[in-house]
Amino acid sequence: MSTRPQEAAPSASRFGRFLAGDGAVAFVMILPAAILFCLFYLWPFVNGFWLSLHNWDGFSDPTWAGFSNYQRLAYDRIFLGALRNNLIFVVAVVVLKNVLGLGLALLLNRALVGRTFFRAAAFIPVTMSFVAVGLLWSWIYNPVFGLLNGALDLFGLGGLKQSWLGDANIALYSIIVVDVWKWLGFHAVIYLAGLQTIPSELYESAKMDGAGPVQRFWHVTLPMMMPIVFINTILGLSGAFVRNFDIVYVLTKGGPNHATEVVLTYMMSKAFQDGAMSYAAAIGYVLFLIVGLASVGLLALMRRQRLDV
Amino acid sequence: MSGAANPSLSLGSGMASHRRRLGARGILELVGIYAALVLVLLETIYPLLWVLFGSLKTKQEMLSNIWGPPSSLVFQNYVDAWRIAGMGSRIVSSVFVTGSALIILVAVATPCAYALARLRFPGRGLVLAVAVAAMLVPPQVMAIPLFMVARDLGLINNRLGIAFVYAATSLPLSVFILRSFFITLPADLEDAARVDGASRLAILIHIMLPLIRPGVALILIFGFIEIWNDFFLAFLLLRDPSVQTIPLGLVSFFQQYDSLWTLYFAALTITTLPVIVVFIAMQRQFIAGLTAGAVKG
Repeated sequence: MSTRPQEAAPSASRFGRFLAGDGAVAFVMILPAAILFCLFYLWPFVNGFWLSLHNWDGFSDPTWAGFSNYQRLAYDRIFLGALRNNLIFVVAVVVLKNVLGLGLALLLNRALVGRTFFRAAAFIPVTMSFVAVGLLWSWIYNPVFGLLNGALDLFGLGGLKQSWLGDANIALYSIIVVDVWKWLGFHAVIYLAGLQTIPSELYESAKMDGAGPVQRFWHVTLPMMMPIVFINTILGLSGAFVRNFDIVYVLTKGGPNHATEVVLTYMMSKAFQDGAMSYAAAIGYVLFLIVGLASVGLLALMRRQRLDV
Repeated sequence: MSGAANPSLSLGSGMASHRRRLGARGILELVGIYAALVLVLLETIYPLLWVLFGSLKTKQEMLSNIWGPPSSLVFQNYVDAWRIAGMGSRIVSSVFVTGSALIILVAVATPCAYALARLRFPGRGLVLAVAVAAMLVPPQVMAIPLFMVARDLGLINNRLGIAFVYAATSLPLSVFILRSFFITLPADLEDAARVDGASRLAILIHIMLPLIRPGVALILIFGFIEIWNDFFLAFLLLRDPSVQTIPLGLVSFFQQYDSLWTLYFAALTITTLPVIVVFIAMQRQFIAGLTAGAVKG
């Protein structure tokens, strides 16, 4: 934000002032971004709402449908199941990523030999694609020669062997583990960066007051880390709602019998297997509303919290 | 370690013995920490090693020797995987799509971010508000209408087309990041150049751009990970096998030949290893880049 002297003559017209000042330059500089944004962001967003208010298979003439697509969603058992799975997924991964991420960061926040090495190792899954991670884990979970059942046998826990992705009662949780595995290093590294901003005098004076390690964690570390907890929660939350298609598609395709169906996998199968384009667009809108409300709610909470601190 | 840090606590029982006791506790604590870290290391690295081992085994050995390294190295797996999975053309597609998208992104986002940070013009607040609001709309939720727009524009199965889509979906966050870098630059720099008669564009390219290189590097790293690894939008827009990127190729290879385990592990290694190597080589920039924004914000 630079303040510069007024260059244009004050008597010029509005448009003239706009051109003589920075307006014309700014217009030219923003134009490419504006075109790209309108074409592939704004237009689909608006068009999607229009689509959701019609019945259209994508080829014949669209007919007006009002809000009937949304009304049908309210009674669609598979959709409601997918929504429920999606919420379980979001809550589970956000909690696990935060708790385990902070735990790992606390381990790494010491003058240890090989700290950089451990940090890098924990971060490697973050750089892998969801597809590679999903495929890797489909082999780990393989009931015949998978790593997991093999490990259980090795430790004499053969009784716990499962069909990890085939059993409708546990498949969703198996997928949750994979998502946490992929992102743990990312959240740990953010927590680690946050931990390093806490002034050591705070710990010194807490020690002086006789606080043990556990008390120091609850009364110094955690309160100081609240902004980072919020950041990690927001990052995890928006990701968990809309970045689960790849992993679910690769591991189970939503099965067995919709047990791991999430909103995006259901939307895609409605659109491209059943050709119900407008119904699928309505699903996308409902998901947008949920993600938007969750993010805005969390941001509002964060802002209030900051004022209180 | 903690013994040395707490000499003031050693009352009563005598300095030496106390220090030894604390030292023992400190050592125990260290052992615990290392044990936990080794566990973390095992659960992240071992599965990857397991894939690497598997990619070099024969199919029989895969079943008889699940855990260990291969007894002999079967490099033929890589040759076969490369051929059957069509890795060559997939890699070309991925490089072309990711490269084009990143070039478009930087070319479009930089002037926009500069204008928002440095120029005063009517409507600036509105543009900024739109960029922030757009970050709340993940592109995944508008996949269906996006597919239709791309279809109407003839961009299905078009690699340059999807590059534009990727650039658009990364645009709001990138503009926001670059703008915050431009804001931190001192205004005098630019004013001096303006007095000398340099145009805005010349200032942007010759003076400002070199100074915000870390910001550009940041959006390139973000963008690379996102676009190179993306499955969802590619699945939506690249339907013809001849134009598919690496993630799509892996999935279809897996679905067509799910009994060729060893080839399958070889394909996974071919696609995963280069990214891991790049990451290890630049891990400082990588980690700093990905977390700096989050912690400062």
